[in-house]
Amino acid sequence: MIKITNKTFDLEAEFKFVSSDTNGAYSFFLGTVRSDLSSSKKKIKGIYLECYEELALTQLKKIRSKALNRWKLTNCSIIHRIGKLNLGEKIVLVTTASSHRANAIEACEFIIDSLKIEVAFWKFHLLDNNEKEMVLQKSLDNEKMLKWDEIIN
Amino acid sequence: MSITLKYFSWIRVKLKKSHDLIELNQTISFKELKSNLILKDPIFKEIFEDNSVKFFLNLREIDDENQTLSNGDILAFLPPVTGG
Repeated sequence: MIKITNKTFDLEAEFKFVSSDTNGAYSFFLGTVRSDLSSSKKKIKGIYLECYEELALTQLKKIRSKALNRWKLTNCSIIHRIGKLNLGEKIVLVTTASSHRANAIEACEFIIDSLKIEVAFWKFHLLDNNEKEMVLQKSLDNEKMLKWDEIIN
Repeated sequence: MSITLKYFSWIRVKLKKSHDLIELNQTISFKELKSNLILKDPIFKEIFEDNSVKFFLNLREIDDENQTLSNGDILAFLPPVTGG
């Protein structure tokens, strides 16, 4: 299941969606909005997430499919929020299910790393006076993705 | 024929709009469209010179500048993504 939504989500409900008696392991990644300083050293009040939804859904389906095949997952769900989010709110949830933990953990990491580099979402920090500051892609995230390219291809 | 241009992130902010609908009298390539847009607004020069910006035609990344554009096509301008 893949979902892009402007509403929050419930962790237990999302777990129930992927759970099954045949699974022996689940891995979760939950990203939240943290209190931090922006690149211009201003205090962040929240974030705004922009998305090219049609493209992002296509990209997420491809990533999910790769993970299901490579790590023999029994299920996988990806939920990503869009719009305005306050500090502490949930941004993204990746859930992977498999027979054993190693596959679930590795696949979950692959999905969130891929999402950060490949999927059409853009984050802005919300500052005082309705000011928005664009968040830049991190070179570290790009370097990490190269590692996955070697594993997947 | 008409083509929709979709702008995201800093490109949307800089152009002060999220999309454009452009009318063309004849079929043109992506390369020719780039030249036309630069003549219309110099901001496009900056966009096309930025190697980190990707261009998607109907949800597929453009890998050949000579690709021709057709009526109803959607061309999206994508700066590096920062979700998650």
